[in-house]
Amino acid sequence: MMKTENKSLNIAGKKIQLTILGEGPPLLYLHSAGGETEPIDFHKKLAEKYTVYLPAHPGFALSEGLDQIDDIQDLAWHYVDLMQQLNLENVPVVSWSLGSWLAAEIKLIRPNLIGPLVMIAAAGLHVDGAPMAELFLDSFDELRELLFFDPNCQIAFDLTPSDVNDPRILLWLRAREATARVGWNPYLHDPKLAGHLHRLDSPIHIIWGRQDKLIPLAHGEYYAEHLPNAKLTILEECGHMVPYEKTEETAKLTLDFLASA
Amino acid sequence: MKFFAFHLMPWDRLPDDFSEKYDTAWTWLPNEMFDPVHGGELYNNYLDQLVLADQLGFDGVCVNEHHQNAYGTMPSPNLMASILARQTKNCKIAVVGNAIPFYDPPTRCAEEFAMIDCISGGRLIAGLVVGGGPEYYSFSKNPTFAREMYREAFDLIIRAWTEPGPFEHYGKHWKLKYVNPWPRPIQQPHPPIWIPGAGSRETIQFVAQRRFAYMGIPYFHLDFFQRNFDMFRDECEKCGYTTDPEQLGWLLPIYCAETDEQAWAEYEKHLWYFVKKLLKGLVVFPPGYTSARSIAGIQKGLQQFMSTCETREDIEKGGYAIVGSPDTVRQKLAERITKLGVGNLLGLFQLGTLPHDLTCRSMKLFAEKVMPGLREEMNVALTS
Repeated sequence: MMKTENKSLNIAGKKIQLTILGEGPPLLYLHSAGGETEPIDFHKKLAEKYTVYLPAHPGFALSEGLDQIDDIQDLAWHYVDLMQQLNLENVPVVSWSLGSWLAAEIKLIRPNLIGPLVMIAAAGLHVDGAPMAELFLDSFDELRELLFFDPNCQIAFDLTPSDVNDPRILLWLRAREATARVGWNPYLHDPKLAGHLHRLDSPIHIIWGRQDKLIPLAHGEYYAEHLPNAKLTILEECGHMVPYEKTEETAKLTLDFLASA
Repeated sequence: MKFFAFHLMPWDRLPDDFSEKYDTAWTWLPNEMFDPVHGGELYNNYLDQLVLADQLGFDGVCVNEHHQNAYGTMPSPNLMASILARQTKNCKIAVVGNAIPFYDPPTRCAEEFAMIDCISGGRLIAGLVVGGGPEYYSFSKNPTFAREMYREAFDLIIRAWTEPGPFEHYGKHWKLKYVNPWPRPIQQPHPPIWIPGAGSRETIQFVAQRRFAYMGIPYFHLDFFQRNFDMFRDECEKCGYTTDPEQLGWLLPIYCAETDEQAWAEYEKHLWYFVKKLLKGLVVFPPGYTSARSIAGIQKGLQQFMSTCETREDIEKGGYAIVGSPDTVRQKLAERITKLGVGNLLGLFQLGTLPHDLTCRSMKLFAEKVMPGLREEMNVALTS
């Protein structure tokens, strides 16, 4: 039985949900717009080697304080406060999508907080000729189509509500709102981030699904090219939902990278 | 009791295979379908219809704002209202309304409304709205800020009309060192204000507290309007006064012909064009537009929306539109207006493909054979 602890923190007036998983040195996980704030298999793999800190961003799950967040920078400063309170410094960070964009922003304003960094299907950039698709859709069918390599796989249906009567709809609507708060305009990116990438010079491993329809692979290639110390691994037959679609493979890539970094 | 002719300025040429090929008439509908030359003809017909409403003795005409869609091709209602300010003589000109979070700065709305009020000799009714869900996609405006932007813009516009300028405004969304609009409106302290709402308690409370007028968002089942208008009256009581019926407005499609049979025969296919094509994709609630709980609730409420109708009986039972001879229309309206307790009826006489001549004939019949009797009957019913 894996050691699991659920906490409620007060971070500068915001009530925040934190789950702590496993044992070992600390690792911070920054979740995606999908709000994987309850431990998933991917987290459990990481928790075999690390104590995984899994906080929910404001507005996700039981975390409050979205009214104090106006943009991605506010969210980054929130994490500066949170990491200080948890005494996390130079800590390895594993991040996905929205979480990876956030990791980059945190590292820009407080480089010493984040050690080696894994960025999976990262948001954050605008790449000419490779537009990100529309995430804020009402249709769950279209959403599954957009996010998964195989939209008809079981996990795709397990993860999205079936209709408006689904009891998970409220949480899902809250996650969507919290994502829109920082990602509506500019759409899921920070126009200034590209100009800062040369300053993010610690080891970074970028992992991407070749068939990512939400954030095209060109974004991963751009990150890999412009980050001074990054490498890119492309996973075949994989969409945007990397930690679900390639759980074992992504966990192994992540742990190997962190062990060598 | 007041009668208004409401106009969307809808697009009438969506292709026959629209329902199969397109998910929505909003935001993502390719604008290649808009033919500018035909658009010019439509705009002129539509303006003629509203000028006709003035000549027929309607109390007012209504225009409204929508963007990037086929349902309402009127991105700037103020342009239309300013033409009407010149071309009409007596009627009120209700702009329902300006989507003020999109006016940058919102004092632009205060200025333009003041111009229309001046040109029309004080006939403007100023509608101030949050803007529909689809517009937050069309403008890439963050919907999670919609409500706070609306409140800030609203208060700023009222101040701009009522406080001597120049003054400073340092809000969250707009920072203005000099607020000092020229011109100022004729109507003092400011033009009457109408606010449309889809039933969220937050909006109803806001309107009741400030003693403005609440316009029920159309195309819902009669029961839905009843709930909302009752809620509004309750909120007014909580604020220590009784609602004036003129604080309430009800918008719905109306069609009048000599007989019931003729009316349905002429109207039905145009009604379905509106219901099945123009309303398709109308109600999109972008994230944060209102609270998650409200969105979940309203999504369920959409089971009482007109686009769920499949048959003429569905339309008639739910009171989604009033169609028939002048007698039928008068009788049904009298019964429902009394029950709903509304003092403003906003008739949607043109809803897309309905030909210009039929639209004008229906309006004439309504003005001549429905309005006078109904006006008298309702003035007794609503004030007793």
